[in-house]
Amino acid sequence: MSPEEQARLTEAATEVVLQASREGRLTSRKDVLEALVADGYFHQAAGHVDTDNARQTPTEEEAAIALAGILAGHPGLASFEGLSGETVYHAPDLLSRTFARILDRKGSPLLLMAEEIRANSRDYPRPVPVELFEAPPFALAPEEIGHVLHAMAADPGYQDISFTTAPTGAVYLFSTLHLERGYAAFLALRAESLSENP
Amino acid sequence: MAATTGGFAGKVLRVDLSTGKISTQDTREKYGDVLGGTGLGYQVLWEEVPPGTGPFDSANKLVFATGVLAGTGVPCNGRTAVTTIFPTCWPKPLVGSGHMGGNFAAKLKYAGYDALIVEGRADRPVWLFIRDARVELRDASHLWGSGIRRTNLEISQEMGADCSVAAIGQAGERLAPMAIVANSLSHSAGGVGGVMGSKNLKAVGVQGSGAVRIAGDKGEWEKLIKFHLSILGGNNQHVVPSFPTPQSEYYNPASRWVGEPGRRWGAAEPPVEITGNIFDLNRIAYRTNSAAFFLGEGAWKHTVRGNGCTACPIRCHTVIKVPSVAAKYGIHETAQNTCSGLNFGRAFFKALPGGFKGPTALEACMVGMHLADDLGLWCNYGQLQRDFLKLQREGLLKAKLGATEYASIAWDKFESGDPTFLFDILPRIGERRGELGQVLSQGTAGLFRHWSMQEDDWGRDHAARYWKMGHPKHHSSEDDGQCGVIINTQYNRDAQCHSHTNFVRNGLPLSVQKRLAAEIWGSPDAVDGAGDYTPMNLHKARRARWSLVRKELHDSLGLCNWMGPWVASPLKERGYRGDDSLESRFYSLATGRKLDREGLDRMGERIFTLHRALTMRDMGQLDMRAHHDLAPAWVFKDQNGAAPFTKGTIRMDRDDISRAMDLFYEVMGWDKATGAPTAEAYARLGLKEVGKAMHAQKLMPGDAA
Repeated sequence: MSPEEQARLTEAATEVVLQASREGRLTSRKDVLEALVADGYFHQAAGHVDTDNARQTPTEEEAAIALAGILAGHPGLASFEGLSGETVYHAPDLLSRTFARILDRKGSPLLLMAEEIRANSRDYPRPVPVELFEAPPFALAPEEIGHVLHAMAADPGYQDISFTTAPTGAVYLFSTLHLERGYAAFLALRAESLSENP
Repeated sequence: MAATTGGFAGKVLRVDLSTGKISTQDTREKYGDVLGGTGLGYQVLWEEVPPGTGPFDSANKLVFATGVLAGTGVPCNGRTAVTTIFPTCWPKPLVGSGHMGGNFAAKLKYAGYDALIVEGRADRPVWLFIRDARVELRDASHLWGSGIRRTNLEISQEMGADCSVAAIGQAGERLAPMAIVANSLSHSAGGVGGVMGSKNLKAVGVQGSGAVRIAGDKGEWEKLIKFHLSILGGNNQHVVPSFPTPQSEYYNPASRWVGEPGRRWGAAEPPVEITGNIFDLNRIAYRTNSAAFFLGEGAWKHTVRGNGCTACPIRCHTVIKVPSVAAKYGIHETAQNTCSGLNFGRAFFKALPGGFKGPTALEACMVGMHLADDLGLWCNYGQLQRDFLKLQREGLLKAKLGATEYASIAWDKFESGDPTFLFDILPRIGERRGELGQVLSQGTAGLFRHWSMQEDDWGRDHAARYWKMGHPKHHSSEDDGQCGVIINTQYNRDAQCHSHTNFVRNGLPLSVQKRLAAEIWGSPDAVDGAGDYTPMNLHKARRARWSLVRKELHDSLGLCNWMGPWVASPLKERGYRGDDSLESRFYSLATGRKLDREGLDRMGERIFTLHRALTMRDMGQLDMRAHHDLAPAWVFKDQNGAAPFTKGTIRMDRDDISRAMDLFYEVMGWDKATGAPTAEAYARLGLKEVGKAMHAQKLMPGDAA
């Protein structure tokens, strides 16, 4: 593939990822390729001759192979291995890493909740109110949240996920990998008192 | 930079109510070195109000002062500082300021005045009419006895709809120390209404047809304003939303940035749905909904819009409409306020049906706002309600009040959480009726003064949140460890400082906060996680100093220290950095006098040091460390017995706080033994004459007692 064609392919593929990020979607290489096909990229490219190198532009198969390197090397794009096992791409300026992970995990409420609880306990650090998961982008029904919590309690892989109940009755979730129980209780109480501590 | 001057309106208006004399002074010449706001107020009190003057003495002065940046296009510039000898200060009234937003500051500047100094006492009720150069004292006998709303309405009808009216209610007329002055209906300055009442001054109505001149390049000015807007977050500069968004890596369920696409202002006509990108500059005003944050999710459907101060896109005074309260309680169906003002009514109850974020709580808040904002009653940052609940809980009201008066209180309504209880209790306090009204209207000081309750008892009670000198803590160790403690030791009322808490509560992860702290204050150790405090260090002392200096700077520039400073931002591309030099860049462009960040901070420090000197002079006290810079006992005790520096406690260690004060005095250039500014500190800040006066009174370190 000539440098010019590489550049054209990079531009077209990047635009597909950017557009998906603008729309709040993750993109796989397959998605990119399909979008390029749908946009007629290869149809247009087939008639395009690289005069310097005197060869035709890449085929769909060649492009598919090249895409991995193109997308991985793009400074404005990020990728990670999604739950499906495929590498997924997004533009962090348009679709943050945090939000991208949430989108990817939406198909697995158990993992979605657990990883979000762990990230909050590790990074901020803080427990999170259980109602967080009822609101977008999580948008889980209260019954579903209940099921997930029961499933976690029975699963050895999620024994770090715990809860504390504030004196107001509000339930906060945290990971014992990153927050001590007493500290989590303190932070939950503090969070509940903020509206009375203006 | 243009050589011309701007920013200042140019004149300070002085009204002597005893003689009726009205005069003006050149602002820049007389007060330019203290910027305006609290700086101007402190200078007036320093020069003109003798030690020992009582708050309600005619010799006391009341200084309504805006700042250099008030009335310009700078975001969040609507502040007026009202400085006086503060009546709720225990055991002795000392200098203090109430602060109000709204549009009074801008109107005063458009009329040509940076400040209004009220002196003396009128021999009958008057109100002050200000329309540009036309200034008159007018009869207020027909307004005396009215609440703030009617007063506002009547004066507005007389002056025209474009005026701003700052008025007192019945509480101020009756010289209640716990009285406010309020403009634009809900924008109040606490504690100063009674001083206004003591001068027989019911209101100030102001209308201005002028503008504030900007000395610098207009393009640069506009560019800087756009930049400032770009680094704004939500209320209190919480820079991450309370929910995950595609635009941000971070979120915080406790953030006051609660507005997001899909939310509705349900009581707007027609209802407004938030759409688009909430990070867009044209969406800033949708981010904050104080009613939803403080009163609960249910407030969204009652939300009409956000209201606020001049040039402030945050709009923290949420307008709410609850039609059912009109029929149920006979009050207006709309109300507006923020923070403690919103909480006013429900905070009088130990319990409410449906909880503190339920529909009855909302009704209690509506009734509370209706009464308090009309009577002109202050809550002393929630201390009034906490005191009331403590007195009731511990049987102290029953013990202190006469049986007849005690029995006359609608306790059944209190017990059942009936909001109509407020129609009984608030007028008693606001109108100073009975012993209960007389005592509670004086604030916590009234309990000590009249009922011989011991300040130490209040200081031991975690639930009372009392700090010292008649006032509560205001973002102390519960938010910010030693930094919070230091800040809370420095004033004669609650600290009202948000520089520190707006940073620690901004919602960014601790690692990001520490990275920013390293850049701003020299070390990541300048900030700790809440309740995970480490021993004191020099960087925390620097941050405490910075916080206090910025507070005074904002109060004197006319900027809002409830929203700023802006040293963190929502901008990922800036690494979530804000800008620490914003205030000095605005000041330089507005005035045409170029000052860098350090230069303007020095002015803030000058103002803060003047407050210190004034407090020392009026206390007659050199040893501030032992007699003023105090923390209550609850700070040093954990209710569960946890030791200081263990995770999950806000308990401080006495020796460590002693070291904290050492370090703080050191970074201030003050004497460690007494906490008094040194001659060098006064000289460095251009306060040599103040230093000489302090020395003459043996209030300089090294002076023999």
